[in-house]
Amino acid sequence: MISIKNLRKEYGTVTAVDGISFEVKRGEVFALLGPNGAGKTTTIKAILGLIQYEGDIFIDGMNARENEKRIKKMIGYLPEKVAFYDNLTALQTLQFYAELKGIHDADLPALLKEVNLERDANRKVGGFSKGMVQRLGLAQSLLGTPELLILDEPTTGLDALGAFEVRTKIRELSEQGNTILLSSHILSEVQELSHRVAILNKGSIVAIDTVENLSKKLDVQPKLRIELEHVSDEMVQQVSALDGVRDVTVEGNVIEAICPPNAKLSIIKTLEEAGGTVVDFKTVEPSLEEIFIKVVKDHV
Amino acid sequence: MYEILTVAKKEFMDNWRNKWIIAVSSIFMILTLVISYFGSLRSSGWQDLEATIGGMMSLVQLLVPIIALMLGYAAISGERERGSLMLMLSYPVTRLEVLIGKFLGLGAVLAVAESIGFGVAGGVIALNVTGVQWGDYLVFILSSILLGLVFIAVALLFSSIFKKRSTSLGGAIMLWFLFSMIWGIILSGIIIARYGFEVFTDPDWVGPTWYYAASIINPISAFSVLVSLNVTPVQTNVIRMPSFYTTPLMLLILLAWIVGSLLLAHVILNRQDL
Repeated sequence: MISIKNLRKEYGTVTAVDGISFEVKRGEVFALLGPNGAGKTTTIKAILGLIQYEGDIFIDGMNARENEKRIKKMIGYLPEKVAFYDNLTALQTLQFYAELKGIHDADLPALLKEVNLERDANRKVGGFSKGMVQRLGLAQSLLGTPELLILDEPTTGLDALGAFEVRTKIRELSEQGNTILLSSHILSEVQELSHRVAILNKGSIVAIDTVENLSKKLDVQPKLRIELEHVSDEMVQQVSALDGVRDVTVEGNVIEAICPPNAKLSIIKTLEEAGGTVVDFKTVEPSLEEIFIKVVKDHV
Repeated sequence: MYEILTVAKKEFMDNWRNKWIIAVSSIFMILTLVISYFGSLRSSGWQDLEATIGGMMSLVQLLVPIIALMLGYAAISGERERGSLMLMLSYPVTRLEVLIGKFLGLGAVLAVAESIGFGVAGGVIALNVTGVQWGDYLVFILSSILLGLVFIAVALLFSSIFKKRSTSLGGAIMLWFLFSMIWGIILSGIIIARYGFEVFTDPDWVGPTWYYAASIINPISAFSVLVSLNVTPVQTNVIRMPSFYTTPLMLLILLAWIVGSLLLAHVILNRQDL
Protein backbone atom coordinates (compact mmCIF):
# COMPACT_ATOMS: atom_id res chain seq x y z
CA MET A 1 0.00 0.00 0.00
CA ILE A 2 2.79 2.41 0.93
CA SER A 3 6.32 2.08 -0.39
CA ILE A 4 8.91 4.59 0.74
CA LYS A 5 12.34 4.60 -0.85
CA ASN A 6 15.29 6.62 0.40
CA LEU A 7 13.15 9.37 1.87
CA ARG A 8 15.30 12.25 2.96
CA LYS A 9 14.36 15.66 4.33
CA GLU A 10 16.57 18.45 5.61
CA TYR A 11 15.45 21.59 7.39
CA GLY A 12 18.41 23.92 7.02
CA THR A 13 21.32 22.09 8.55
CA VAL A 14 19.14 19.61 10.41
CA THR A 15 18.46 16.25 8.79
CA ALA A 16 14.94 15.36 9.89
CA VAL A 17 14.72 12.13 7.87
CA ASP A 18 17.87 10.47 6.65
CA GLY A 19 17.20 8.21 3.68
CA ILE A 20 14.64 5.84 5.18
CA SER A 21 12.85 3.06 3.28
CA PHE A 22 9.94 0.90 4.37
CA GLU A 23 6.74 -0.64 3.12
CA VAL A 24 3.27 -0.87 4.63
CA LYS A 25 1.09 -3.75 3.48
CA ARG A 26 -2.62 -3.46 2.71
CA GLY A 27 -4.77 -4.14 5.78
CA GLU A 28 -1.86 -3.67 8.15
CA VAL A 29 -1.54 -1.35 11.13
CA PHE A 30 1.99 -0.04 10.84
CA ALA A 31 3.44 2.16 13.54
CA LEU A 32 6.18 4.74 13.39
CA LEU A 33 7.62 4.83 16.87
CA GLY A 34 10.21 7.22 18.15
CA PRO A 35 10.93 10.09 20.48
CA ASN A 36 10.02 13.67 19.55
CA GLY A 37 12.15 14.81 16.64
CA ALA A 38 12.75 11.27 15.37
CA GLY A 39 11.24 12.07 11.97
CA LYS A 40 7.77 10.52 12.31
CA THR A 41 5.71 13.60 11.45
CA THR A 42 8.13 14.61 8.69
CA THR A 43 7.66 11.18 7.09
CA ILE A 44 3.88 11.56 7.27
CA LYS A 45 4.00 15.10 5.85
CA ALA A 46 6.09 13.82 2.93
CA ILE A 47 3.51 11.10 2.19
CA LEU A 48 0.80 13.78 2.14
CA GLY A 49 2.82 16.11 -0.09
CA LEU A 50 2.92 18.82 2.56
CA ILE A 51 6.70 19.20 2.35
CA GLN A 52 9.37 18.98 -0.34
CA TYR A 53 11.53 15.86 -0.04
CA GLU A 54 14.15 13.72 -1.72
CA GLY A 55 13.48 10.08 -2.53
CA ASP A 56 10.32 8.38 -3.73
CA ILE A 57 6.96 7.59 -2.19
CA PHE A 58 4.50 5.22 -3.83
CA ILE A 59 0.92 4.76 -2.68
CA ASP A 60 -0.87 1.82 -4.20
CA GLY A 61 1.83 1.77 -6.89
CA MET A 62 1.37 5.44 -7.80
CA ASN A 63 4.18 7.96 -7.43
CA ALA A 64 3.02 10.43 -4.78
CA ARG A 65 4.53 13.44 -6.55
CA GLU A 66 2.81 12.74 -9.84
CA ASN A 67 -0.58 11.62 -8.50
CA GLU A 68 -1.05 13.97 -5.57
CA LYS A 69 -4.79 14.52 -5.92
CA ARG A 70 -5.64 10.89 -6.67
CA ILE A 71 -3.62 9.73 -3.71
CA LYS A 72 -5.09 12.28 -1.34
CA LYS A 73 -8.57 11.05 -2.24
CA MET A 74 -7.52 7.64 -0.92
CA ILE A 75 -6.15 8.97 2.36
CA GLY A 76 -7.76 9.98 5.63
CA TYR A 77 -5.42 12.02 7.81
CA LEU A 78 -5.54 12.94 11.46
CA PRO A 79 -2.79 15.49 12.23
CA GLU A 80 -0.99 15.61 15.55
CA LYS A 81 -2.49 19.01 16.32
CA VAL A 82 -5.97 19.07 14.89
CA ALA A 83 -7.06 22.59 13.98
CA PHE A 84 -10.57 23.32 12.80
CA TYR A 85 -12.47 26.55 12.30
CA ASP A 86 -13.89 27.79 15.60
CA ASN A 87 -16.84 29.48 13.90
CA LEU A 88 -18.15 26.30 12.28
CA THR A 89 -20.30 23.65 13.95
CA ALA A 90 -19.19 20.02 13.97
CA LEU A 91 -21.62 19.26 11.13
CA GLN A 92 -20.52 22.28 9.06
CA THR A 93 -16.90 21.25 9.60
CA LEU A 94 -17.52 17.77 8.23
CA GLN A 95 -19.61 19.24 5.40
CA PHE A 96 -16.70 21.46 4.35
CA TYR A 97 -14.16 18.63 4.34
CA ALA A 98 -16.58 16.26 2.61
CA GLU A 99 -17.10 18.80 -0.18
CA LEU A 100 -13.35 19.32 -0.42
CA LYS A 101 -12.98 15.59 -0.99
CA GLY A 102 -15.77 15.62 -3.56
CA ILE A 103 -18.10 13.55 -1.36
CA HIS A 104 -21.67 14.70 -1.73
CA ASP A 105 -23.59 11.78 -0.24
CA ALA A 106 -21.80 11.27 3.07
CA ASP A 107 -23.96 10.38 6.06
CA LEU A 108 -22.40 12.99 8.31
CA PRO A 109 -24.71 12.53 11.33
CA ALA A 110 -23.83 8.82 11.29
CA LEU A 111 -20.13 9.69 11.18
CA LEU A 112 -20.55 12.00 14.15
CA LYS A 113 -22.36 9.20 15.97
CA GLU A 114 -19.42 6.91 15.32
CA VAL A 115 -17.20 9.23 17.35
CA ASN A 116 -19.87 9.99 19.98
CA LEU A 117 -20.45 13.55 18.86
CA GLU A 118 -24.02 13.22 17.58
CA ARG A 119 -25.37 15.44 20.36
CA ASP A 120 -22.83 18.14 19.54
CA ALA A 121 -23.47 18.21 15.79
CA ASN A 122 -24.76 21.78 15.85
CA ARG A 123 -22.36 23.15 18.44
CA LYS A 124 -19.50 25.37 17.32
CA VAL A 125 -16.11 23.67 17.35
CA GLY A 126 -14.62 26.67 19.19
CA GLY A 127 -16.42 25.48 22.32
CA PHE A 128 -15.20 21.88 22.08
CA SER A 129 -12.82 20.23 24.54
CA LYS A 130 -9.53 18.85 23.22
CA GLY A 131 -10.93 15.33 23.33
CA MET A 132 -13.98 16.34 21.31
CA VAL A 133 -11.80 18.10 18.73
CA GLN A 134 -9.65 14.97 18.47
CA ARG A 135 -12.74 12.79 17.96
CA LEU A 136 -14.04 15.21 15.32
CA GLY A 137 -10.57 14.98 13.75
CA LEU A 138 -10.94 11.22 13.64
CA ALA A 139 -14.38 11.62 12.06
CA GLN A 140 -13.04 13.89 9.29
CA SER A 141 -10.25 11.39 8.62
CA LEU A 142 -12.92 8.73 8.03
CA LEU A 143 -14.80 10.77 5.40
CA GLY A 144 -15.34 8.72 2.28
CA THR A 145 -14.09 5.53 3.96
CA PRO A 146 -10.45 6.03 2.90
CA GLU A 147 -8.30 3.07 1.89
CA LEU A 148 -5.41 4.41 3.94
CA LEU A 149 -5.63 6.10 7.32
CA ILE A 150 -2.70 8.15 8.57
CA LEU A 151 -2.94 8.98 12.25
CA ASP A 152 -0.23 11.20 13.68
CA GLU A 153 -0.01 10.86 17.46
CA PRO A 154 -3.76 10.22 17.69
CA THR A 155 -3.99 10.24 21.49
CA THR A 156 -1.56 13.01 22.35
CA GLY A 157 -2.98 15.45 24.85
CA LEU A 158 -6.07 13.41 25.56
CA ASP A 159 -7.16 12.35 29.02
CA ALA A 160 -7.29 8.64 29.83
CA LEU A 161 -10.92 8.24 28.73
CA GLY A 162 -10.40 10.19 25.52
CA ALA A 163 -7.29 8.16 24.66
CA PHE A 164 -9.17 4.93 25.38
CA GLU A 165 -12.02 5.96 23.08
CA VAL A 166 -9.64 6.84 20.24
CA ARG A 167 -7.68 3.59 20.67
CA THR A 168 -10.93 1.60 20.66
CA LYS A 169 -11.95 3.27 17.42
CA ILE A 170 -8.56 2.54 15.82
CA ARG A 171 -8.86 -1.11 16.85
CA GLU A 172 -12.32 -1.28 15.28
CA LEU A 173 -11.00 0.22 12.05
CA SER A 174 -8.15 -2.26 12.03
CA GLU A 175 -10.57 -5.14 12.51
CA GLN A 176 -12.54 -3.84 9.52
CA GLY A 177 -9.42 -4.32 7.40
CA ASN A 178 -8.30 -0.69 7.05
CA THR A 179 -4.65 0.05 6.34
CA ILE A 180 -3.42 2.34 9.08
CA LEU A 181 -0.14 4.20 9.39
CA LEU A 182 0.15 5.27 12.97
CA SER A 183 2.74 7.52 14.54
CA SER A 184 3.25 7.56 18.26
CA HIS A 185 5.77 8.00 21.00
CA ILE A 186 3.54 6.06 23.39
CA LEU A 187 4.99 2.57 23.47
CA SER A 188 2.03 0.80 25.03
CA GLU A 189 -0.26 2.27 22.39
CA VAL A 190 1.90 1.03 19.55
CA GLN A 191 2.25 -2.38 21.17
CA GLU A 192 -1.50 -2.63 21.62
CA LEU A 193 -2.55 -1.43 18.16
CA SER A 194 0.08 -2.23 15.57
CA HIS A 195 0.98 -5.28 13.56
CA ARG A 196 4.43 -4.01 12.67
CA VAL A 197 6.55 -1.18 13.94
CA ALA A 198 9.42 0.92 12.62
CA ILE A 199 11.52 2.45 15.34
CA LEU A 200 12.90 5.82 14.30
CA ASN A 201 15.66 7.70 15.99
CA LYS A 202 17.26 10.90 14.73
CA GLY A 203 15.78 10.49 11.27
CA SER A 204 16.81 6.88 10.72
CA ILE A 205 14.97 3.58 11.05
CA VAL A 206 16.85 1.61 13.68
CA ALA A 207 14.55 -1.41 13.68
CA ILE A 208 11.54 -2.61 11.75
CA ASP A 209 9.46 -5.73 12.39
CA THR A 210 6.62 -7.10 14.51
CA VAL A 211 6.93 -6.45 18.23
CA GLU A 212 7.35 -10.20 18.77
CA ASN A 213 10.12 -10.58 16.19
CA LEU A 214 11.90 -7.50 17.42
CA SER A 215 12.07 -8.92 20.94
CA LYS A 216 13.44 -12.19 19.57
CA LYS A 217 16.01 -10.52 17.34
CA LEU A 218 17.19 -8.18 20.01
CA ASP A 219 17.23 -10.92 22.61
CA VAL A 220 14.93 -9.02 24.90
CA GLN A 221 13.89 -11.79 27.28
CA PRO A 222 10.63 -12.27 29.11
CA LYS A 223 10.36 -11.53 32.80
CA LEU A 224 9.32 -14.23 35.29
CA ARG A 225 7.18 -12.98 38.15
CA ILE A 226 6.86 -15.34 41.13
CA GLU A 227 4.76 -14.73 44.22
CA LEU A 228 5.94 -16.64 47.32
CA GLU A 229 4.69 -17.04 50.87
CA HIS A 230 7.89 -15.37 52.02
CA VAL A 231 11.16 -14.25 50.42
CA SER A 232 14.62 -14.67 51.96
CA ASP A 233 18.05 -13.25 50.96
CA GLU A 234 19.27 -16.80 50.34
CA MET A 235 16.54 -17.38 47.73
CA VAL A 236 17.49 -14.16 45.90
CA GLN A 237 21.21 -15.06 45.96
CA GLN A 238 20.62 -18.58 44.63
CA VAL A 239 18.28 -17.41 41.84
CA SER A 240 20.72 -14.66 40.85
CA ALA A 241 23.50 -17.26 40.57
CA LEU A 242 21.59 -19.31 37.99
CA ASP A 243 22.85 -19.33 34.38
CA GLY A 244 21.14 -16.72 32.12
CA VAL A 245 19.21 -15.12 34.97
CA ARG A 246 19.64 -11.37 35.49
CA ASP A 247 18.01 -8.29 36.97
CA VAL A 248 16.50 -10.09 39.97
CA THR A 249 14.30 -7.74 41.99
CA VAL A 250 12.19 -8.21 45.12
CA GLU A 251 9.06 -6.34 46.08
CA GLY A 252 7.26 -7.68 49.15
CA ASN A 253 6.74 -11.42 48.57
CA VAL A 254 7.27 -11.13 44.82
CA ILE A 255 10.50 -11.94 43.00
CA GLU A 256 10.98 -10.82 39.42
CA ALA A 257 13.81 -11.93 37.16
CA ILE A 258 14.66 -11.70 33.49
CA CYS A 259 15.52 -15.11 32.12
CA PRO A 260 15.56 -17.25 28.99
CA PRO A 261 12.43 -19.47 28.64
CA ASN A 262 14.35 -22.66 29.54
CA ALA A 263 15.43 -21.23 32.90
CA LYS A 264 11.92 -20.80 34.30
CA LEU A 265 11.66 -24.27 35.83
CA SER A 266 15.16 -24.02 37.32
CA ILE A 267 14.22 -20.80 39.06
CA ILE A 268 11.08 -22.29 40.60
CA LYS A 269 12.96 -25.42 41.64
CA THR A 270 15.75 -23.36 43.20
CA LEU A 271 13.28 -21.29 45.16
CA GLU A 272 11.53 -24.38 46.52
CA GLU A 273 14.86 -25.97 47.47
CA ALA A 274 15.74 -22.79 49.35
CA GLY A 275 12.57 -23.19 51.43
CA GLY A 276 10.18 -21.07 49.42
CA THR A 277 6.52 -21.87 48.72
CA VAL A 278 5.31 -20.66 45.36
CA VAL A 279 1.84 -19.10 45.54
CA ASP A 280 1.59 -17.95 41.94
CA PHE A 281 3.81 -17.23 38.94
CA LYS A 282 3.52 -15.78 35.47
CA THR A 283 5.65 -14.79 32.52
CA VAL A 284 5.57 -11.16 31.49
CA GLU A 285 6.45 -10.83 27.80
CA PRO A 286 8.95 -8.11 26.94
CA SER A 287 7.33 -4.75 26.39
CA LEU A 288 7.96 -2.49 23.47
CA GLU A 289 9.46 -0.10 25.94
CA GLU A 290 12.27 -2.53 26.65
CA ILE A 291 12.79 -3.14 22.95
CA PHE A 292 12.73 0.56 22.24
CA ILE A 293 15.25 1.42 24.95
CA LYS A 294 17.57 -1.35 23.83
CA VAL A 295 17.35 -0.39 20.16
CA VAL A 296 17.87 3.30 20.75
CA LYS A 297 20.76 2.64 23.17
CA ASP A 298 22.42 0.35 20.64
CA HIS A 299 21.89 2.95 17.91
CA VAL A 300 23.50 5.70 19.98
CA MET B 1 -13.23 23.12 -10.00
CA TYR B 2 -15.46 22.06 -7.09
CA GLU B 3 -12.45 22.35 -4.80
CA ILE B 4 -12.06 26.02 -5.74
CA LEU B 5 -15.77 26.64 -5.26
CA THR B 6 -15.74 24.85 -1.90
CA VAL B 7 -12.92 27.06 -0.61
CA ALA B 8 -14.57 30.18 -2.10
CA LYS B 9 -17.93 29.29 -0.54
CA LYS B 10 -16.33 28.82 2.86
CA GLU B 11 -14.58 32.20 2.70
CA PHE B 12 -17.80 33.89 1.67
CA MET B 13 -19.93 32.15 4.29
CA ASP B 14 -17.40 32.88 7.05
CA ASN B 15 -17.68 36.59 6.28
CA TRP B 16 -21.42 36.35 5.98
CA ARG B 17 -21.73 34.63 9.36
CA ASN B 18 -19.37 37.01 11.16
CA LYS B 19 -21.32 40.01 9.77
CA TRP B 20 -18.32 41.41 7.84
CA ILE B 21 -20.43 41.89 4.73
CA ILE B 22 -23.14 43.79 6.61
CA ALA B 23 -20.56 45.92 8.43
CA VAL B 24 -18.65 46.85 5.27
CA SER B 25 -21.85 47.44 3.26
CA SER B 26 -23.07 49.77 6.01
CA ILE B 27 -19.77 51.69 6.02
CA PHE B 28 -19.93 52.21 2.25
CA MET B 29 -23.61 53.17 2.36
CA ILE B 30 -23.34 55.64 5.25
CA LEU B 31 -20.21 57.35 3.91
CA THR B 32 -21.72 57.67 0.44
CA LEU B 33 -24.88 59.22 1.87
CA VAL B 34 -22.84 61.56 4.07
CA ILE B 35 -20.73 62.63 1.06
CA SER B 36 -23.84 63.21 -1.01
CA TYR B 37 -25.70 65.20 1.64
CA PHE B 38 -22.86 67.13 3.25
CA GLY B 39 -20.17 66.88 0.58
CA SER B 40 -20.65 70.16 -1.23
CA LEU B 41 -19.61 73.53 0.09
CA ARG B 42 -21.46 75.30 -2.71
CA SER B 43 -24.95 74.05 -1.93
CA SER B 44 -26.80 72.31 0.87
CA GLY B 45 -28.74 69.03 0.85
CA TRP B 46 -28.51 66.12 -1.57
CA GLN B 47 -25.96 66.36 -4.40
CA ASP B 48 -26.81 64.52 -7.59
CA LEU B 49 -25.21 61.14 -8.25
CA GLU B 50 -22.60 62.61 -10.60
CA ALA B 51 -21.35 65.06 -8.00
CA THR B 52 -21.41 62.32 -5.40
CA ILE B 53 -19.14 60.10 -7.51
CA GLY B 54 -16.55 62.89 -7.59
CA GLY B 55 -16.66 63.08 -3.82
CA MET B 56 -16.53 59.32 -3.44
CA MET B 57 -13.29 58.93 -5.38
CA SER B 58 -11.11 59.82 -2.37
CA LEU B 59 -13.23 57.61 -0.14
CA VAL B 60 -12.84 54.59 -2.41
CA GLN B 61 -9.12 55.15 -3.02
CA LEU B 62 -8.53 55.21 0.72
CA LEU B 63 -11.09 52.78 2.06
CA VAL B 64 -11.43 49.99 -0.51
CA PRO B 65 -7.70 49.02 -0.47
CA ILE B 66 -7.55 48.91 3.31
CA ILE B 67 -10.76 46.89 3.62
CA ALA B 68 -9.49 44.45 0.99
CA LEU B 69 -6.15 44.11 2.77
CA MET B 70 -7.93 43.52 6.09
CA LEU B 71 -10.08 40.85 4.49
CA GLY B 72 -7.19 38.94 2.99
CA TYR B 73 -4.05 39.45 5.07
CA ALA B 74 -4.64 36.40 7.28
CA ALA B 75 -6.30 34.19 4.68
CA ILE B 76 -3.21 31.99 4.30
CA SER B 77 -0.92 32.98 7.19
CA GLY B 78 -3.77 32.77 9.72
CA GLU B 79 -4.67 29.28 8.60
CA ARG B 80 -1.01 28.25 8.59
CA GLU B 81 -0.50 29.63 12.10
CA ARG B 82 -3.60 27.83 13.37
CA GLY B 83 -2.69 24.58 11.61
CA SER B 84 -5.85 24.30 9.51
CA LEU B 85 -3.97 24.95 6.24
CA MET B 86 -2.06 21.70 6.70
CA LEU B 87 -5.27 19.75 7.16
CA MET B 88 -6.90 21.47 4.18
CA LEU B 89 -3.92 20.65 1.95
CA SER B 90 -3.99 17.02 3.04
CA TYR B 91 -7.25 16.87 1.05
CA PRO B 92 -7.33 16.56 -2.75
CA VAL B 93 -6.89 20.28 -3.30
CA THR B 94 -3.77 22.01 -4.64
CA ARG B 95 -2.21 25.15 -3.23
CA LEU B 96 -3.19 27.05 -6.39
CA GLU B 97 -6.81 25.95 -5.98
CA VAL B 98 -6.77 27.14 -2.36
CA LEU B 99 -5.38 30.52 -3.45
CA ILE B 100 -7.89 30.97 -6.26
CA GLY B 101 -10.75 29.79 -4.03
CA LYS B 102 -9.81 32.26 -1.34
CA PHE B 103 -9.43 35.03 -3.91
CA LEU B 104 -12.86 34.35 -5.39
CA GLY B 105 -14.54 33.99 -1.99
CA LEU B 106 -13.04 37.16 -0.53
CA GLY B 107 -13.55 38.96 -3.84
CA ALA B 108 -17.22 38.04 -3.71
CA VAL B 109 -17.43 39.37 -0.14
CA LEU B 110 -16.06 42.74 -1.19
CA ALA B 111 -18.08 42.83 -4.43
CA VAL B 112 -21.32 42.11 -2.58
CA ALA B 113 -20.50 44.63 0.17
CA GLU B 114 -19.66 47.37 -2.35
CA SER B 115 -22.69 46.58 -4.49
CA ILE B 116 -25.07 46.68 -1.51
CA GLY B 117 -23.44 49.71 0.13
CA PHE B 118 -23.08 51.84 -2.97
CA GLY B 119 -26.26 50.45 -4.54
CA VAL B 120 -28.55 51.24 -1.59
CA ALA B 121 -26.92 54.66 -1.16
CA GLY B 122 -27.33 55.33 -4.90
CA GLY B 123 -31.00 54.39 -4.64
CA VAL B 124 -31.56 56.76 -1.71
CA ILE B 125 -29.78 59.59 -3.57
CA ALA B 126 -31.77 58.88 -6.74
CA LEU B 127 -35.00 59.28 -4.79
CA ASN B 128 -33.96 62.78 -3.79
CA VAL B 129 -32.44 64.12 -7.01
CA THR B 130 -33.34 64.21 -10.70
CA GLY B 131 -31.48 63.13 -13.86
CA VAL B 132 -29.59 60.20 -12.42
CA GLN B 133 -26.79 58.81 -14.65
CA TRP B 134 -26.98 55.15 -13.64
CA GLY B 135 -24.43 54.10 -16.29
CA ASP B 136 -21.69 56.26 -14.80
CA TYR B 137 -22.53 55.07 -11.32
CA LEU B 138 -22.36 51.43 -12.40
CA VAL B 139 -18.96 51.93 -14.05
CA PHE B 140 -17.76 53.57 -10.86
CA ILE B 141 -18.98 50.66 -8.71
CA LEU B 142 -17.43 48.06 -11.04
CA SER B 143 -14.11 49.95 -11.07
CA SER B 144 -14.18 50.09 -7.26
CA ILE B 145 -14.77 46.33 -7.14
CA LEU B 146 -11.81 45.82 -9.49
CA LEU B 147 -9.63 47.95 -7.21
CA GLY B 148 -10.77 45.81 -4.27
CA LEU B 149 -9.88 42.61 -6.13
CA VAL B 150 -6.36 43.95 -6.77
CA PHE B 151 -5.79 44.50 -3.08
CA ILE B 152 -7.28 41.15 -2.12
CA ALA B 153 -4.79 39.48 -4.48
CA VAL B 154 -1.98 41.56 -2.98
CA ALA B 155 -3.16 40.64 0.54
CA LEU B 156 -3.05 36.95 -0.42
CA LEU B 157 0.50 37.45 -1.70
CA PHE B 158 1.57 38.94 1.65
CA SER B 159 -0.31 36.22 3.47
CA SER B 160 1.66 33.61 1.50
CA ILE B 161 5.03 35.30 1.99
CA PHE B 162 4.78 35.74 5.74
CA LYS B 163 4.21 32.84 8.08
CA LYS B 164 2.56 34.86 10.84
CA ARG B 165 -0.62 36.91 10.79
CA SER B 166 1.10 39.82 12.50
CA THR B 167 3.82 40.13 9.85
CA SER B 168 1.27 39.75 7.04
CA LEU B 169 -0.73 42.56 8.61
CA GLY B 170 2.40 44.70 8.93
CA GLY B 171 3.28 44.07 5.29
CA ALA B 172 -0.25 44.84 4.12
CA ILE B 173 -0.34 48.13 6.03
CA MET B 174 3.08 49.11 4.66
CA LEU B 175 1.86 48.44 1.13
CA TRP B 176 -1.31 50.44 1.65
CA PHE B 177 0.78 53.29 3.03
CA LEU B 178 3.13 53.05 0.03
CA PHE B 179 0.39 53.23 -2.58
CA SER B 180 -1.91 55.64 -0.74
CA MET B 181 0.72 58.14 0.38
CA ILE B 182 4.36 57.47 -0.41
CA TRP B 183 4.19 56.64 -4.13
CA GLY B 184 2.75 60.00 -5.14
CA ILE B 185 5.07 61.90 -2.80
CA ILE B 186 8.17 60.17 -4.23
CA LEU B 187 7.18 60.87 -7.84
CA SER B 188 6.24 64.46 -7.05
CA GLY B 189 9.52 64.88 -5.16
CA ILE B 190 11.51 63.75 -8.19
CA ILE B 191 9.57 66.11 -10.45
CA ILE B 192 10.09 69.06 -8.07
CA ALA B 193 13.80 68.26 -7.74
CA ARG B 194 14.19 68.19 -11.50
CA TYR B 195 11.74 70.79 -12.80
CA GLY B 196 10.95 72.96 -9.80
CA PHE B 197 7.78 73.44 -7.80
CA GLU B 198 6.22 75.81 -10.36
CA VAL B 199 5.32 73.00 -12.77
CA PHE B 200 2.45 71.96 -10.52
CA THR B 201 0.87 75.40 -10.81
CA ASP B 202 1.35 75.57 -14.57
CA PRO B 203 -1.75 74.14 -16.29
CA ASP B 204 0.10 73.83 -19.61
CA TRP B 205 3.03 71.83 -18.22
CA VAL B 206 3.38 68.36 -19.64
CA GLY B 207 5.42 65.96 -17.54
CA PRO B 208 7.90 63.40 -18.84
CA THR B 209 6.49 60.05 -20.01
CA TRP B 210 8.22 58.10 -17.22
CA TYR B 211 6.32 60.17 -14.66
CA TYR B 212 2.96 59.21 -16.12
CA ALA B 213 4.05 55.62 -16.61
CA ALA B 214 5.34 55.30 -13.05
CA SER B 215 2.15 56.87 -11.69
CA ILE B 216 -0.12 54.20 -13.08
CA ILE B 217 2.02 51.32 -11.80
CA ASN B 218 0.29 52.22 -8.54
CA PRO B 219 -3.06 50.38 -8.80
CA ILE B 220 -4.85 53.18 -6.94
CA SER B 221 -3.73 55.64 -9.62
CA ALA B 222 -4.68 53.19 -12.37
CA PHE B 223 -8.15 52.96 -10.79
CA SER B 224 -8.37 56.74 -10.60
CA VAL B 225 -7.43 57.12 -14.28
CA LEU B 226 -9.85 54.34 -15.25
CA VAL B 227 -12.73 56.14 -13.54
CA SER B 228 -11.65 59.51 -14.98
CA LEU B 229 -11.63 58.07 -18.49
CA ASN B 230 -15.06 56.50 -18.20
CA VAL B 231 -17.18 58.46 -15.77
CA THR B 232 -18.38 61.81 -17.09
CA PRO B 233 -18.49 63.78 -13.82
CA VAL B 234 -14.94 62.81 -12.89
CA GLN B 235 -13.59 63.57 -16.37
CA THR B 236 -14.23 67.24 -15.82
CA ASN B 237 -11.83 67.23 -12.88
CA VAL B 238 -8.95 65.88 -14.91
CA ILE B 239 -6.66 68.56 -16.23
CA ARG B 240 -4.30 66.63 -18.47
CA MET B 241 -3.60 63.00 -19.26
CA PRO B 242 -1.10 61.55 -21.75
CA SER B 243 -2.48 59.82 -24.82
CA PHE B 244 -1.37 56.36 -23.68
CA TYR B 245 -3.71 56.55 -20.69
CA THR B 246 -6.48 54.41 -22.10
CA THR B 247 -9.19 52.23 -20.61
CA PRO B 248 -7.68 48.96 -21.93
CA LEU B 249 -4.27 49.86 -20.47
CA MET B 250 -5.75 50.68 -17.07
CA LEU B 251 -7.74 47.44 -17.08
CA LEU B 252 -4.61 45.57 -18.12
CA ILE B 253 -2.60 47.10 -15.28
CA LEU B 254 -5.24 46.22 -12.69
CA LEU B 255 -5.63 42.70 -14.07
CA ALA B 256 -1.83 42.30 -14.15
CA TRP B 257 -1.73 43.17 -10.46
CA ILE B 258 -4.33 40.49 -9.74
CA VAL B 259 -2.80 37.74 -11.88
CA GLY B 260 0.80 38.65 -10.98
CA SER B 261 0.09 38.69 -7.23
CA LEU B 262 -1.73 35.36 -7.33
CA LEU B 263 0.96 33.70 -9.46
CA LEU B 264 3.74 34.97 -7.22
CA ALA B 265 1.78 33.85 -4.15
CA HIS B 266 1.43 30.42 -5.75
CA VAL B 267 5.17 30.14 -6.50
CA ILE B 268 6.01 31.14 -2.92
CA LEU B 269 3.39 28.91 -1.31
CA ASN B 270 4.41 25.95 -3.44
CA ARG B 271 7.98 26.13 -2.19
CA GLN B 272 6.99 26.23 1.45
CA ASP B 273 6.95 23.27 3.79
CA LEU B 274 3.94 23.05 6.05
